[in-house]
Amino acid sequence: MNVLQTQIGLLNLESPLLTGSGTFGHDPAALAFLKGGDLGALVLKTVTPDPREGNPNPRMCEWTGGVMNSIGLENKGLSYWRDHVAPKLAATPVPVVANAGGHDLDEYGVMTAAFDAMEGVAAIELNLSCPNVKGGTHFSTDPEALQSVVRLCREQTTKPMWVKLSPNVASITPLAQAAEAAGADGLVVCNTVLGLLVDWKTRKPRLGNGYGGMSGPAVRPVAMRMVWECFRATQLPIIASGGASSADDVLDFVVAGATAVQVGTASFRRPDAISRIAEELRTVLAENDFTLDSLRGSLKWPSPVSCSGAASRTS
Amino acid sequence: MSGQTVSARCTDSRIVGRHCCGPDAFLLDVEVEQELPLLRPGVFAMLSPANGTGPELGRPFSLYDQHGGTLRFLIQVMGVGTQALDRLEIGELVTLTFPLGNGFIVADPNRPVVMVAGGVGSAPFLLYARHRMQMGCEQNTWVLFGARTADRLYDAEGLAAAGAPMLFATDDGSQGFHGNVIQMLDAELESGRLPRDARFCACGPEGLLHGFADYARKQGLDAELSLETYMGCGFGVCNACPVETEPDGPLGSWKWARTCEVGPVFALSSIRF
Repeated sequence: MNVLQTQIGLLNLESPLLTGSGTFGHDPAALAFLKGGDLGALVLKTVTPDPREGNPNPRMCEWTGGVMNSIGLENKGLSYWRDHVAPKLAATPVPVVANAGGHDLDEYGVMTAAFDAMEGVAAIELNLSCPNVKGGTHFSTDPEALQSVVRLCREQTTKPMWVKLSPNVASITPLAQAAEAAGADGLVVCNTVLGLLVDWKTRKPRLGNGYGGMSGPAVRPVAMRMVWECFRATQLPIIASGGASSADDVLDFVVAGATAVQVGTASFRRPDAISRIAEELRTVLAENDFTLDSLRGSLKWPSPVSCSGAASRTS
Repeated sequence: MSGQTVSARCTDSRIVGRHCCGPDAFLLDVEVEQELPLLRPGVFAMLSPANGTGPELGRPFSLYDQHGGTLRFLIQVMGVGTQALDRLEIGELVTLTFPLGNGFIVADPNRPVVMVAGGVGSAPFLLYARHRMQMGCEQNTWVLFGARTADRLYDAEGLAAAGAPMLFATDDGSQGFHGNVIQMLDAELESGRLPRDARFCACGPEGLLHGFADYARKQGLDAELSLETYMGCGFGVCNACPVETEPDGPLGSWKWARTCEVGPVFALSSIRF
């Protein structure tokens, strides 16, 4: 029996561990660092209809507990992806999740329809929340705008479709509920946290684009809170994303309600991080009498439950 | 002979030696499980402490030397990443992703080669010199090594032991030519002691590389550079180390090439630098 077996809606995965979009490449090449059975699904970097050159250097820097990045969705666009990446996906040993980005409603629709037509794409993740590109925050902060784009995309595909939410909001629950109402099959919680690092000596931001998105262990408490809030507020499977780098981190997210966990920044320092975590998870599960299913959402909140306005999950 | 390709792996590897080689630099010896063939000069590893908290990213280091399954890296202590490595002792583990990137294409034996190193930029040239000596190129290979002061000519004796003729330059004149390594290169070319038809290979701090690139373009030299671009992952997935490509050049039409994956060694004519 595979103790890591994970079901996200209709998608049956060998492991609850996924790559985080933008942290494991544009194509399946980096899979060579991972052992078979350790990765549940390969989530690839965001693709947009038109090519994007991305942001100026420097695009990444480090500080205590995390990494800041401002890549700016550099990608060669949909037609390049269709010709050069999509043909490699059928032979990829794990399900591939394509990540769609866009400037406006129509572009998200175009991307979703295109991914729907590609045989090697098992599921679609909508990146409504990348903080580094102009206009990228509208869909992620306004529930009505989010609902309209998710509804439009829903009409373009029957494949599993996940919505990646932004943490850069006052409350995430109206956005999670809007995604659910519009027909999303899962929520990815969450993207990077908008930040700014400066260098007083040069009087300049440390990133070429000024602002950046924080990732890594420092954002884990933010993501953990939002996973719990989304779990309480919707019936959707939650895919946690935010600084996980060990089996303990993954199980914490599962207890807070996650069905699966994306590993991102941890793969930068250790390209085999997901295999190491999978091995740790098997050991922990073998040594204890719980399963991922029995742990999911089992967080014992100090009573009375006081997370803001969240409806109780009925499952 | 020109260096074989080995698939990159990520391992926790044991530190088996460390040697101070300057006021702010050391040589780190790391044992890997496999016996490796002589690799291309300029390939690199991402290194970070295997245990403890932080830093969150590894740091790139050219392979400095190799003997069987022992790899040697030349590390200048610059910031948090290298400070963390400096704190490690023999017997402790480093997380090592290796070998990465495309190194220098070792030139044909008949082609003269001039290596131009600034400070810690000497790192890829010990292996390059060894490749050339194995090809019998003692007469047409030179290493030009410059630093601020004589004590920052890191491991100069070890580098010289590879067998290639060496010329030293120091900013303060404490050893060899009084001036920087590009001024020395210029003097040697002007005097005819070095051939202009050589392949010129440079590595060093960004300022030196820009100076070298400007000089090489003006002089029409055939040049390759090993770039010091900041890297996040080192294996081509994070897109944080782009270098601008020359439009319609050999690297294609896209504006950027990833330093870690396409480089870190680039023909000067292929990039805007």
